[in-house]
Amino acid sequence: MGQHQFEISYVFEYLVKLLPSLKITLLIVFSSILIGAAVGLLVALPRLYRIPVLQRLSGIYVSFFRGTPILIQLFLFYYGMPEMLKLIGIDVSRTSALYFVILTYSLHSGAYISELIRGAVAAVDRGQVEAAYAMGMSGYQAFSRIVLPQALAISIPVFANLVIGNLKDTSLAFSLGIMEMSGTARTISALSQRFVEIYIALAILYLLISLALQKLFVRLERHLFRHEPAAAAAKREPRGKRTFFRKFGSVTDIPGKEARL
Amino acid sequence: MIKLTQIKKSYGRHQVLKGIDLTVEKGEVVAILGPSGSGKTTLLRCMNYLERPSEGEITIDGFTVNCKRPSKSDIHSLRKQSAMVFQQYNLFRHKTALENVMEGLVVVQKVPKEQARKRSIELLEKVGLGSKLDAYPSQLSGGQQQRVGIARALALNPKVILFDEPTSSLDPELVGEVLSVIRKIAREGITMIIVTHEMSFAQEVAGHVIFIDDGMIVERGTPNELFNSPKEERTKQFLKRYTPDGVYSI
Ligand SMILES: Nc1ncnc2c1ncn2[C@@H]1O[C@H](COP(=O)(O)OP(=O)(O)O)[C@@H](O)[C@H]1O
Ligand SMILES: [Mg+2]
Repeated sequence: MGQHQFEISYVFEYLVKLLPSLKITLLIVFSSILIGAAVGLLVALPRLYRIPVLQRLSGIYVSFFRGTPILIQLFLFYYGMPEMLKLIGIDVSRTSALYFVILTYSLHSGAYISELIRGAVAAVDRGQVEAAYAMGMSGYQAFSRIVLPQALAISIPVFANLVIGNLKDTSLAFSLGIMEMSGTARTISALSQRFVEIYIALAILYLLISLALQKLFVRLERHLFRHEPAAAAAKREPRGKRTFFRKFGSVTDIPGKEARL
Repeated sequence: MIKLTQIKKSYGRHQVLKGIDLTVEKGEVVAILGPSGSGKTTLLRCMNYLERPSEGEITIDGFTVNCKRPSKSDIHSLRKQSAMVFQQYNLFRHKTALENVMEGLVVVQKVPKEQARKRSIELLEKVGLGSKLDAYPSQLSGGQQQRVGIARALALNPKVILFDEPTSSLDPELVGEVLSVIRKIAREGITMIIVTHEMSFAQEVAGHVIFIDDGMIVERGTPNELFNSPKEERTKQFLKRYTPDGVYSI
């Protein structure tokens, strides 16, 4: 690989050097998940309630963002959107690439989140809504008070997968020149030629954030599932594995996005 | 007080209810018997519009809905007239026993929280669950869940409570505790329609018994008439199946 001999001390040095760019990575992840959640709910509703034309549009949107690579989506938005907007007289040529990245990742997450919501709502027992209707609740009351809280709990593992997937996907944003962690790593390695050390440092950072997120979601799930202590505990404690493997395992054990929906 | 006129319901080409007429007086307990698949559940679900009848008219306490073209607010008002106790309990899984009972009071009837809480605790004590206020459904036995279900129905102070086989998902040793709660509220003069396969229970609590087969009311009468001297052949055969020795005495 590089011309230098491997030296562990550089790993630590690069860890510190990469840390500032973590901000950008997290900014992309969290803003896109937040916007994506709002978009996802909006897109899921027409399909849940079978609203004629909107239902079709939602379907097309979801197919596009789930069916094409995110890299292509990034390029399409970054190069294509300014051209389109120019036609209606809006100049975005000076807008930071970061906005395009966040927009793309938001729409991308929105597609997955809408599917996640659909799946989770369908997984809530039909009898729950019927009991709500039978006591005279309106459709909105039944959805917001009975279905949504249960659907949220059900969707946490898939959602965790989505957020962690998103975190890893942000490494593609460097292709538009964004100096998030991967972009920064590339720049530093081009100068120092210490590829191994820097990519080890980079991997460590991604891994640590993934584990932290995973832990957060497990807690959240436990909280949201406090009404089913037995079921939740059984699911979360694979017997005979040690803690470290359990934590690793749970990241991958979670059924994939497609598998669940 | 309750009047059903020519209730019909079809799923596609399969007609499940073929014109049901039924009148229930205030304070009366009516038991509905019939073989599996005869349309008992569908009939109950039509009465609160969980199923949409294809034809007919439903009146509860002076409020009438014509099933040809009901408005959304008609359906909503009709549903507030009744409460339902489900075969599978259908307690809200993410809410405690107390919250389950309070939910309708607070959300639908807009009763202030403290007042709703007080009333709900009373009702849970009444069904013998005063010590389980904070238990989630998953922490309760089937019999306990169904008793919460009954308290939840009572809380709404409905004109009528619809029971759909309230004990048929229960282990045999838990049936008794639920039946005795229903017996207790029957004595308080609450109007009830109960679908059940518990023959001796029906005989004991019901003022009227109705036998449904194949989407039609085959026979109706007092428990004494229906159980001891059924007129229709289909009723006789049904009763024979549920009481092998064919003898029923009060
Ligand atoms: N949603 C449905 N779609 C189609 N057929 C149904 C549906 N619900 C009930 N049925 C049919 O209607 C008939 C009556 O069902 P049901 O009212 O549940 O009977 P019971 O409660 O007396 O056992 C059955 O033949 C059943 O298969
Ligand atoms: Mg039934």
